[in-house]
Amino acid sequence: MKVQKKAAINLFYIPAIVLFLVFVIYPFLHGIRISFTNWNGYSQTMKFVGIDNYVRLFQDANVRTALVNTLVYGIASTIIQNVLGLAYALFLNTKFKGRSIVRTVIYMPVMIAPLIMGYIMYFLFQYDGGALNDIIMLLGHEPVDLLANSSAAIAIIVMVNSLQFVGVSMVIYLAGLQNVPNMYYEAAMLDGASSWQRFKHITFPLLMPAISSSTILNLIGGLKLFDLVMALTSGGPGFTTHSLSTLVTNQYFSAQSAGYASAIGIFAFLLIMVVSNVVMKFFDKREVDV
Amino acid sequence: MKKLVVTMLIATMAIASAGCSKAPEEPKTETTETTAKKEKQETDVTLEFLYNLNGEAISNEVQAVCEQFTEETGIGVEAIMPGSNFSDIMKTRMASNQLPDVWTTHGWAVARYAEYLEPLNDFGFADHISSSIEEQITDKDGNLYTLPIDMDLTGIIYNVNVLEEAGVNVDDLKTWDDFNEACKKVKSIGKTPIQMGGKDSYTFGNLMDFIAPTFITNEDEANQEALLDGSFDWSKWNVVVDQVASWNAEGYFNKDAVTADFMTGVKALAAEEAAFMFHSASGISEIYVQNPDTEMGFMPLPAREDGLKTSLMTGEHFAIGMSKTTEHPEEAKKFMEFMAREDICAKLATKCGMPSGLDNVESDTGRLEPFYEKYTNNAEILNIPYFDRKYLPSGMWNDLCVTGGTILSGQDNATEEAVTQMKNSYEEKKAQE
Repeated sequence: MKVQKKAAINLFYIPAIVLFLVFVIYPFLHGIRISFTNWNGYSQTMKFVGIDNYVRLFQDANVRTALVNTLVYGIASTIIQNVLGLAYALFLNTKFKGRSIVRTVIYMPVMIAPLIMGYIMYFLFQYDGGALNDIIMLLGHEPVDLLANSSAAIAIIVMVNSLQFVGVSMVIYLAGLQNVPNMYYEAAMLDGASSWQRFKHITFPLLMPAISSSTILNLIGGLKLFDLVMALTSGGPGFTTHSLSTLVTNQYFSAQSAGYASAIGIFAFLLIMVVSNVVMKFFDKREVDV
Repeated sequence: MKKLVVTMLIATMAIASAGCSKAPEEPKTETTETTAKKEKQETDVTLEFLYNLNGEAISNEVQAVCEQFTEETGIGVEAIMPGSNFSDIMKTRMASNQLPDVWTTHGWAVARYAEYLEPLNDFGFADHISSSIEEQITDKDGNLYTLPIDMDLTGIIYNVNVLEEAGVNVDDLKTWDDFNEACKKVKSIGKTPIQMGGKDSYTFGNLMDFIAPTFITNEDEANQEALLDGSFDWSKWNVVVDQVASWNAEGYFNKDAVTADFMTGVKALAAEEAAFMFHSASGISEIYVQNPDTEMGFMPLPAREDGLKTSLMTGEHFAIGMSKTTEHPEEAKKFMEFMAREDICAKLATKCGMPSGLDNVESDTGRLEPFYEKYTNNAEILNIPYFDRKYLPSGMWNDLCVTGGTILSGQDNATEEAVTQMKNSYEEKKAQE
């Protein structure tokens, strides 16, 4: 009877598994196959080229640039989102009037599509008629074209991405903070621990599961950043602000090198897998049970 | 178990990044879909017609013409304009071999679509293809692949009032040195000599694509052959790159050349704040929408040195090809014949404000009429194909767009990088042909 019930429950997995196979696994395997060809993305014919696309990938300066940018987008966004998210959470875990409104305001950008956020920010930073330059000119200075400077553009992309998704980290940390039993703080206060000591020895270790979740989510989000880059710079000037994801699109559709684009996509997949697993293992060792 | 689940989640999210994503389009993209009225349709056949002509006026005209076709023949037409991602949609349709019955070939009838198009040599209109465009839409075996409703005549568009104020006469601009002098005069009156909209990267593509033939292939058969057979010496590309870099160094581009979009440029020319733009003459209609009171014109591309001819590029604009695997070949043929009919073709070409691609059809090109009269069939002007379509392997348009941006961004070694990028991409794509 018990076995029958278990088998019946397993049946409910089937729709999800089928969808997963059709929309994730099949395209992924197809992508691997294409990455060993010279397919241009539309022709009825393609030629097997062995590992040529992968060899080219490691020699391509544009891929190197995109790889560095991807790591910057991933790591810098993760750091900013976690530090700010934790600070917001600590602040909003205290009781004060209007706390719910502040939480809502910080979380609100998460609900906006990244592409829309990108265009909103483009109108803020654009040279001609951008809000930022209007203010600069009002103060009597010359307008600046920040998005034309690759370093400034990368910094803007990181900042916009971080500020948009800091609400996610804040919510994770708030949930984590509310799971920390009060008795630990009471005991520490009885022992005369300062607020920094309480944070360092109680809050921080017990927040490790939240830090782990928030870090991995933010890292993956940053490493596969796409929409913001397209909206703010389209990867330019030149290839200087491309992420691996936007470079895949560029090579697939614009350069008509679908085989090569697939190889870059597979490389991005492996990169995200490896980095995320390393980070996950790092946090696993540090998690503490309440 | 927990680790397994987390690893699976990570894998799923990572796979999402490995999959192919669709480049987003700006909100301004317009999509129109209309089916010819069913009550007028007498057969069960409905042809699918995909076209890429932005703009309400021309789109409405296409819809009206399709409805007229249905009225006259009883054959339905689903005319769809998918917006500015037309090219990507067509690539996807080609990949899955699910092409529409008829579609606009937007400059790629031979280089990209020939494999999928029915040769049109047996149609009556094949004898009336304008000599200016015939070479561009016919392959080396003489197969004609598209019906040119109109044709692009491309040089440099300019604001007449700005040039008058700067004391520049375009008829004197025979070489790039003359053009540079003109830019200097425009800059001296506080206006932008050359307007770029680099956020729409095709504007960089235009810039490189327009000046390249004047330096490399015009009246130089050796370079033409070398580009076609793969033996081109890419150090020669330095002259193209250096020209753009020198305009940048002289401050002839608008300050936000890398990040402004095309419409910013249109507005700048409409407001008489900028003089030149590297865009086909069709861009002028956008400027007149912004400011009907300004005066616009277009001029041929200057030559690299005295004694050589100036040039205008000719290519497809509104051109229609027919699928060779269509399930409705007879109906599609009727549609092609209908679109080539003198009254219909003239109506469509007039709406585009371009000269017709058929020599038996007269179109009204409105305020640009004097320019078309002046430059069409002018023996002093070379009629050349678009550089990338003729001399570069398919897919290199992207390199023209990107390298233009690289040069204007002013980054270290930008010119060397631009040349290397072109060379590497050319060699890779040639090797794959």
